[in-house]
Amino acid sequence: MSPLPVTSAVPAMPFSRVVRAYLSDAKWESIRLFRTPAFSVPILAMPILFYSFFGIVLAGKSNIGQLANNLFVGWTVYGVMGPGLFGFGILVAVERNQGLLTFKRALPMPTGSYLASKLMMAYVFAVVVMVMLVVIAVTMGHVTLPWTILVRMAAVMSLGVIPACAVGLFIGSYAPASSAAAIANITYLGMAFLSGLFFPLSGFLHTIRWAWPTYHLSQLARASGGMESEGEPLVHVAVLAAMTVVLVALAARKLSRRG
Amino acid sequence: MDAEGDGALARLTGAKKRYGATTALDGLDLDVRPGELLALLGPNGAGKTTAIGILLGLQEPDAGEARLFGRSPHDLAARRGVGVMMQEVMLPDALRVGDLISQVRAYYPDPLSFEDAVALAGVEKLVQRPYIKLSGGQKRQVQFALAICGRPRLLFLDEPTTGLDVTARETMWATLRRLVKDGASIVLTTHYIEEAEALADRVVVMAKGRRIAGGTVSEIRGLVVRKRIDCVTATGLPVIEAWPEVIAASHDGERTSITATEAESVVRRLLAADPRLSDLEVRRAGLAEAFAELTQEPAAQEQTR
Repeated sequence: MSPLPVTSAVPAMPFSRVVRAYLSDAKWESIRLFRTPAFSVPILAMPILFYSFFGIVLAGKSNIGQLANNLFVGWTVYGVMGPGLFGFGILVAVERNQGLLTFKRALPMPTGSYLASKLMMAYVFAVVVMVMLVVIAVTMGHVTLPWTILVRMAAVMSLGVIPACAVGLFIGSYAPASSAAAIANITYLGMAFLSGLFFPLSGFLHTIRWAWPTYHLSQLARASGGMESEGEPLVHVAVLAAMTVVLVALAARKLSRRG
Repeated sequence: MDAEGDGALARLTGAKKRYGATTALDGLDLDVRPGELLALLGPNGAGKTTAIGILLGLQEPDAGEARLFGRSPHDLAARRGVGVMMQEVMLPDALRVGDLISQVRAYYPDPLSFEDAVALAGVEKLVQRPYIKLSGGQKRQVQFALAICGRPRLLFLDEPTTGLDVTARETMWATLRRLVKDGASIVLTTHYIEEAEALADRVVVMAKGRRIAGGTVSEIRGLVVRKRIDCVTATGLPVIEAWPEVIAASHDGERTSITATEAESVVRRLLAADPRLSDLEVRRAGLAEAFAELTQEPAAQEQTR
């Protein structure tokens, strides 16, 4: 029996097209979420509203530079963590219960592109948030730091997107779709307040502040801006990296068990 | 990348799949050959969708094996030759039709041009519309565009024409014929024997997770085109069942229902046996009846074994 001629060989995918597929997914993930007000409005507006209120109105009254700088760091850390935490925390929980992921699994979507596109989407949103916060800080925020330092601090804080995505992925993998939004919100606000971003902590809460990625990120930002900070920057980076690895590993374990 | 040595693009071998107490696939063998349109025909729950899901790597068979272009369906390189239209699918609400086509095109090594994909699927007027605003039929057309936009060598279409109006269905059929002519292979599931008749080179009839018949359209038509005769008659079932053209007969209240290979001679016998026969009705047996009948055969064989 002679084999039939193979007329239906599938052409190989050039590397450049694989890269384009990743970039295309990141682009469309960002565009669709900018076009989804239920996601984009809270993610973009909340940090700006809060920072404007506390950073301009309240800090203006006290007129103390130190407080203004603290508020800039606090609300920027808050703003940077949002897109990753909600982008993964809510969307993964919802999408794994929908046909969307099934369809994507049937398509030849590059293996890592589902998560990579969300990570890049979170970066895009975080950059937009930071640009707006730096503009407010420089123009109306009473900060005493020059804008070049603020940009450097923002660049350091953009590292926070990665642990934020890891926390979100962990929530999205374990939480049911119906309660993922509530859990993500509580985690988000809890991390912001319990890491001392907005007011000093004492007692037990002070002792466990190192448990929150927001604490390490804010200390890194303060160090990079020459502000008073606790601990070694390298240790903070290492702790953030370790938290990311552990959370992603736990999420991967849960997601792969679903088959 | 090569197909199987004998040219099969996709192959299920002894595939079994259970969901709890339900057997979805019960040892199914299936080959998809180059350049053919294969119709999987069968009632709901026959296992058609499960068969496709396993070939796409969406589900794991409990036993048996699935191969796509000679590879595992999980292999990205194999899925790059495949386009798919599923029965139920959620697509991102906020994207427009054109955005979705662009996004899916990017996954393939040698996709159709955007314009060709849009024209072949007949969705020119929908490109700028948000997907969420489309009607059910329009969504099916867009899903069809997503299935073909990668220029796949093998296309899986799970009940593609459900919910389409006549014009849209004609457009889709014309495109399917053209794709096959250009060398693509297509696996299509359907409830409608008309759809298989209009398109398929080969038909596999499934029931209860098994292949119960297979062949060309005319062979299958011979199997399933039976006549259904209903009437009110005093003639008893044992008499009727003894006639050679009769396959099955039953009583439903006053009425007697007969399934036969041929209507004319059975009607002649009925009238001869009972001149007072009334309410005579003859029609082509529906697919449901044909399936019910085909489906019972494997079970009957098992019982006699």
